[in-house]
Amino acid sequence: MADEGVANHYQVLEELGRGSFGVVYKAIEKRTGETVAIKHIDLESSDDDIQEIQQEISVLSTCASSYVTQYKASFLRGHKLWIVMEYLGGGSCLDLLKPGIFPEVHIAIICRELLLGLEYLHNEGKIHRDIKAANVLLSEAGRVKLADFGVAAQLTHMKSQRNTFVGTPFWMAPEVIQQAGYDFKADIWSLGITAIEFALGEPPHAQIHPMKVLFQIPKNPPPRLEGKFSKEFKDFVAQCLVKNPDHRPSAKDLLKHRFIRSAGKVEALQELIYRKQVFDAKADRVKLPVYYQETLHTISTKDEADEWVFDTIKSVAPKKGTVKSRKPSATIHAVEEAMHKLDVKDGPLQPTTPGTVRRSTVRRQPSTGARRNSIRNASSSNANGSPRRASISAKRPLQPDTSFGNSGSTMRLFRRVPSDSSSSSRPSTSSECSFSNENRPPSAYQAPVEPHSKEAFLGRRLYTKALEPCLDELHAQTAGAAKREALSRLSDALAHLDAVDPEGTYHILRSIVSTVSQDAKLSKAFLPEQSRTSQSKTPSNSTPHSTVLLNKPHLASAPALAPAAPTSPSPSKLVLATDNPPLESQRRRPEGNATTDNPLGIVSRSPEKEPLRERADRERAARDLEKMALEAKFPGRPAVPGMEHCKALSDLLYARWTDGLRARWGAVAGS
Amino acid sequence: MSFFFGRTRTRTNAADLPKQARDHVTKLEGPQGAAKAEELAKVLSQMKLALQGTHESEASPEQVLQLITGIIEEDLLYLLAVHLHRLPFESRKDTQVIFSYVFRFRPPTGPQKPEPFALAWVVEKRPQVLIELCRGYDHKESATPAGTVLREVLKNEAAAAVILYDDGDEPGSSARGIGGINQDRPQSGNGVFWSFFEWIDKSSFEVAADAFTTFREILTKHKELVPKYLAVNFDLFFSRYNTILVQSNSYVTKRQSIKLLGEILLDRSNYNVMTAYVDRGEHLKICMNLLRDDRKMVQYEGFHVFKVFVANPHKSVPVQKILLMNREKLLHFLSHFLEDRTDDEQFIDEREFLIKQIRNMPAQPVVPGSHHGR
Repeated sequence: MADEGVANHYQVLEELGRGSFGVVYKAIEKRTGETVAIKHIDLESSDDDIQEIQQEISVLSTCASSYVTQYKASFLRGHKLWIVMEYLGGGSCLDLLKPGIFPEVHIAIICRELLLGLEYLHNEGKIHRDIKAANVLLSEAGRVKLADFGVAAQLTHMKSQRNTFVGTPFWMAPEVIQQAGYDFKADIWSLGITAIEFALGEPPHAQIHPMKVLFQIPKNPPPRLEGKFSKEFKDFVAQCLVKNPDHRPSAKDLLKHRFIRSAGKVEALQELIYRKQVFDAKADRVKLPVYYQETLHTISTKDEADEWVFDTIKSVAPKKGTVKSRKPSATIHAVEEAMHKLDVKDGPLQPTTPGTVRRSTVRRQPSTGARRNSIRNASSSNANGSPRRASISAKRPLQPDTSFGNSGSTMRLFRRVPSDSSSSSRPSTSSECSFSNENRPPSAYQAPVEPHSKEAFLGRRLYTKALEPCLDELHAQTAGAAKREALSRLSDALAHLDAVDPEGTYHILRSIVSTVSQDAKLSKAFLPEQSRTSQSKTPSNSTPHSTVLLNKPHLASAPALAPAAPTSPSPSKLVLATDNPPLESQRRRPEGNATTDNPLGIVSRSPEKEPLRERADRERAARDLEKMALEAKFPGRPAVPGMEHCKALSDLLYARWTDGLRARWGAVAGS
Repeated sequence: MSFFFGRTRTRTNAADLPKQARDHVTKLEGPQGAAKAEELAKVLSQMKLALQGTHESEASPEQVLQLITGIIEEDLLYLLAVHLHRLPFESRKDTQVIFSYVFRFRPPTGPQKPEPFALAWVVEKRPQVLIELCRGYDHKESATPAGTVLREVLKNEAAAAVILYDDGDEPGSSARGIGGINQDRPQSGNGVFWSFFEWIDKSSFEVAADAFTTFREILTKHKELVPKYLAVNFDLFFSRYNTILVQSNSYVTKRQSIKLLGEILLDRSNYNVMTAYVDRGEHLKICMNLLRDDRKMVQYEGFHVFKVFVANPHKSVPVQKILLMNREKLLHFLSHFLEDRTDDEQFIDEREFLIKQIRNMPAQPVVPGSHHGR
């Protein structure tokens, strides 16, 4: 795929927003002078999405309609994929709803345009599957376009149906949720919900948790538009929201509806854009533009690659062989030391150069040194470095208005929420996300305090690994505008606290945890089983990191499994269900058998959501384990206690091998 | 488009459509190319409607049968495949739909053949249609429609065989139809299947990604055909795979091909291919270098190939030597390998397993077979 140079054809300007899995920039195509929008997708931050992204591109690239955002090109730049799209200056309808709900006349226009767009798509055998205000964009002239084809489907056959469970809960048609096979009509339902969103500011059930909504929608009678709206509008919504898809009208039918036929010209929609501009100006919400910065930064690993010794030693005399193999291990240490030094120099959060640090570059260093450093920091034995996850000044606050963003996370085959929180691709979220840091609002925050105490380290870690991702997740799942606003304020406040006083963050949670643990009901509801048992063993709060876990080494190997185990009491399950993303991803490698047994494939494993105390214990356990693993490498040691769990796996693998061997090489094996 | 629709309503000219299309398509390169393209677009659009029907009215099977017979008689499938990239935007999509209906269609009456008859005809008599569809990857314009058709067709084992065993005029090539294939003759490496390596490595992102998806489909769908093919063409296949794909400069190609390699090796049906693969020290070296790539998803995918070498209870002597030479480094390296993946229990388990395996290796290489598997 030789298209590295194409990126130079574009001058990338400021950030426009964050989409479902990438940052969108405004840019100018140098050759034509045309303004375009470019979506940058960091492929390193996702486990398995390349094929899905490809699917999105192939759906988009076969669309040619003035009702669909025009796809222009896509190309790779290192491990980032750039998708070039037409630029739409009016922003998304979700943004335009910020100043207030839309007047009915405007809704009629938008709905007509959306129906025209859907008519086109459906004729092309495409289902959008994620119609909502956030995915409806306006041009500066008021033209309406469908955007974000991240979960769109291409049908190869007119009558074929889909079963895949994708979309955003509040907007999902009942037949999609029930996975009974659905077709184009699913988009019509979502359009009806979107019309309500325009009229009321949020979709029905917005106050309910998205997981619960999934049960409500098929069970309840369809939502109705109520209040001071015209009869036609109410009827239009009711037509869209017919539960039986066979009785639901098509886009073509709905274009004949009275509400739609009487709709005005798209130019009228400029009022909505103007209203938003006034609103922004009044509220002093003009954000400093965030400019694009090149982040392609890879440390050459050529030297490192030579670290393996592949010289063929012709005759390996056993004794000499071992001697030889020891020699290079001296070089490895030297290289490692070099990596350490390098790390300290380039490390994030050096107080002298906070402005230029970009975590993403650090994250990609494959150096074991970098990782070891972080471990040492966690144990705070190395005060020189700083925890890797702590570049807070770079944090963007949760934006209640992500112009290209989705409100409420869109579900993509369950997989868009990566299984691995550490390589999360949640937009604008965890500090692991490279794009969170590559563009910083210039001096939006003061340079963060360098954590110096153990508490401060933990506090910072607590913020970056637990609080902030949780808030982000919650924010993404929350549909109510007021609630989103409140959440983002809370997030801002915590970010600020973390920047000036990470120790404060630590103490807050410490005291919350200890207070909660003293209240029987609260602790039952919020503290998972074994943190309570371990607490009873170590009642003293002054020694929270006591040696609980050496006797329970399995905990480290299976982090966060215990709270989610089916045997755990229901209260803790409930907690996990409410603060987990609606649908965690499925495991990637199918050989992993013992994973998703629960309905809807919900897997609870999010270490960032555990109480601090448990985390600390686990970290300690991890350190202990590591130490043991190192010690165990000395010859003559028996297998360490923590390693028994590998037995099952090894048995499994062996069985497969020996089965095959016996079948094919029976004679050889026997000889 | 309603006036086109009106015309097909007459239902008299359905049989003429293939002939008209043929006339236009052969003149696309001539001086009147633009005009011909426009006329062709109309014909193809009518043909599409005649095949798929509309939301309101179903296409009649007799009509469709007649049309497809005409398409075959005029050799239109081949012509459309060859000229796909020259067609206008909408016509390329129409052509894709036409192909997919033609290949899927089963006659309503007559003997119940398991295969749709047009596809059977192509596989037996006109394999060049499939070859030309593959060559759609030569052009950005035709890559997506051709790829979409191919992936549907490749569910059919015979169609996959035609592509795998295409070898020009060589004896045993699929050029004379599925019956002429000689599976035991090693491929020259000039057939259309081998062009996929270039398409995947050299093309723009869109083309390369589509070509890779098709390539993957060819190699993973057919559990008898492919293992046999890989066994006969082992050296050629893996030397190209490792040099062109695994070492590709493109991040996506590299990452996806490492992942596919792991999938191929761990597929039960490829057991013999896998054992042969993990016997080679050269392969292990490539793989160990992947573990040190500067992109962690490459490391991660590399790990899933590396584990196969280590888990092998009958490691070859060269493999044992490499592992032993690097034992201390590997143990150290693996104990810190991708430690960010704290949530990936299976990965953590496997990593621990590998550490244990490497640590417990005997200090000197053992000739496989001289000891018994555990």
